[in-house]
Amino acid sequence: MWNELLYAFQEVATLPNFLAMFAGIWGGVIIGAIPGMTGTMAVTLALPFTFYLSPVTSILLLVALYKGSTYGGSISAILIKTPGTASAACTVLDGYPLARAGKGGKALNMALISSCIGDFISNISLFFLAIPLATFALRVGPPEFFMLMAFSLTIVASISGRSLVLGIISACLGLLLATVGEDMYGSFRFALSEDMKSGLGMVPVLIGLFALPELIKMIVFRPEDNAAAMKLGDNRLTLAEFRGSIKSICRGSIIGVILGAIPGIGPSTAAFFSYSEARRTSKNGDKFGEGEIEGIAASESANNGACGATMIPLLALGVPGDVITGVMLGAFMIHGLTPGPLLFQNNLGDVYALFIGILFSSVFLFVAGKATAGAFTKISRIPQTLLLPCILILCVYGIYSIGASPFDVTVLLVMGVVGFAMMLLNIPAAPFLIAFILGPMFEDNMRRSLAISRGDLGVFFQSWISWGFFALTVLFVILTIRREWKKWRDKRDATNASAS
Amino acid sequence: MNQNRDFYAGLVATVFFAVILFVLIPIYVKVPSFIPGFAPPPDMWPRVVAVIGLVMGVLALVLAFPKMREASRDRVEGFGNRILGNKTHLMRFAGILIVFAAFVYGMPLIGFVPATVLLLGVLFIMTGNFERKFWMIGLAVIFPVLLYLLFTEVTHTPFPKGKLLSANISHLTTLI
Repeated sequence: MWNELLYAFQEVATLPNFLAMFAGIWGGVIIGAIPGMTGTMAVTLALPFTFYLSPVTSILLLVALYKGSTYGGSISAILIKTPGTASAACTVLDGYPLARAGKGGKALNMALISSCIGDFISNISLFFLAIPLATFALRVGPPEFFMLMAFSLTIVASISGRSLVLGIISACLGLLLATVGEDMYGSFRFALSEDMKSGLGMVPVLIGLFALPELIKMIVFRPEDNAAAMKLGDNRLTLAEFRGSIKSICRGSIIGVILGAIPGIGPSTAAFFSYSEARRTSKNGDKFGEGEIEGIAASESANNGACGATMIPLLALGVPGDVITGVMLGAFMIHGLTPGPLLFQNNLGDVYALFIGILFSSVFLFVAGKATAGAFTKISRIPQTLLLPCILILCVYGIYSIGASPFDVTVLLVMGVVGFAMMLLNIPAAPFLIAFILGPMFEDNMRRSLAISRGDLGVFFQSWISWGFFALTVLFVILTIRREWKKWRDKRDATNASAS
Repeated sequence: MNQNRDFYAGLVATVFFAVILFVLIPIYVKVPSFIPGFAPPPDMWPRVVAVIGLVMGVLALVLAFPKMREASRDRVEGFGNRILGNKTHLMRFAGILIVFAAFVYGMPLIGFVPATVLLLGVLFIMTGNFERKFWMIGLAVIFPVLLYLLFTEVTHTPFPKGKLLSANISHLTTLI
């Protein structure tokens, strides 16, 4: 093991890898700092460029973008009261009042330090949890994999939106789109045109679905321009302030790790959960929301803590926990690496290299954040009316450069329109994406299981692992239905009370 | 608003999955004759997914009805009124569709770079914010050209020159 670790360290400690991580962190912070631009957008936009890099370098670049954008979201949250990413929404509550009080620099410093600590703890957990989970996953066959994927899709469908039904509709759309192209028997499905015979490319679908709807939304609804940014002001974070927040940082990091490792939950929920926990347990709980620095520590440590943890199910089981890890799964596959237990058997060196590289990226995050906090305040003021059309053009060039195919550009634009329609109809996009990526594996495992059992459905219930995942799926559906029913009943009671 | 959205989402999903199940699968998913009886045929999975989608679409519609009835106590808003109320938004959305379609069909004719310059210019105009006119004009021309240079130099992508443009250039060369 130590030899492999040493070899992996040598593989990571190269100039291209360090440059990729630096570029990723900086790019991520810049994109995360711009309201309306998300980490998903950052990762998907970078995907076409990773084709020309080695597998480890490209994954490190994408992970760095993810981490950078998660921290970057806090910059605009603190300085212009607009969270750059959804996971920074809690940071606004205390960050903006601090900035108004002339303590923007202090708030940014706390956000950076707690993000880096959360990130580091999360990376360490990735190291210790992914390998045992992958060893367990080696005992899993096609029927168990089918059940596992059904379970992950159910979680993603129920958590990522407001309604389980709409989540499942979204997942069905993704699964259906994944069937376009050649079947395992060589027949074609939904080949409406000659180009569709080879299926729809993963990258145009991803980028179209997540990068374009924001542009279309801006053109159709024309929202107000960016608000003016606050000045940084007081920059010093005292030792007493740090000591007062250390409990919240540690708890936030652990919450981030646990919630990040469960598919479908992700950094936003982790941040909200950690913030409410810190508010409940802190002696300054009543000051939360008025500019309490502990609030920033709680939410930022949790959202960055979830970043590394989302890689645990991806690497160990091959199941992406959220949209960004879904894109990363695509990147792995493009480079001929299939995440899952076999990755640890066949490419252990690459996995160790990734772990070490991801640990390095926490340090880079600290350096990049510290060096350029002032400059990023200007970036968050770039008007979206200039930025978003340019991003579309960047997407068009990036997509075309992958396969020199105008069809891919058409898919990109069509998926943008589909993504916008889904946004209007409140249909969550995350289940669509995860289902589109998992679809071929999902179908393959189901058909293989049925072929092995000669059509007997009992094959899906022959092992305790299958039963376990089945029970979890049913339990999760019941809990979600119960939650929605309770929500509906509370709302009805409130309406009746106000009417009477 | 949300109650109506749920209704429309259910309606769109129901219609979409019904079209997939009853029209597209029978026409566009062929089942080869050599597949053994016990092996799942190619149309099985799309059928399963479409049926689940259809059921969920109907369920979304059914669940939206009581919510809509509650909402309609305060304000009744028909589908026609909603469309008329959002006429400007719909016009802009239709505009985007036309621009995208024009780009897809026009790009092979006029070439990749001129098409992206035009696309960017039109999108800037469509944002409706003309406070930074010079930035818009400059970016519309320079940004696609810079990207073209970057991609041709770094990834050696052969971007389409455009039938009309290359035909004109070859015509000029013959004349010279």
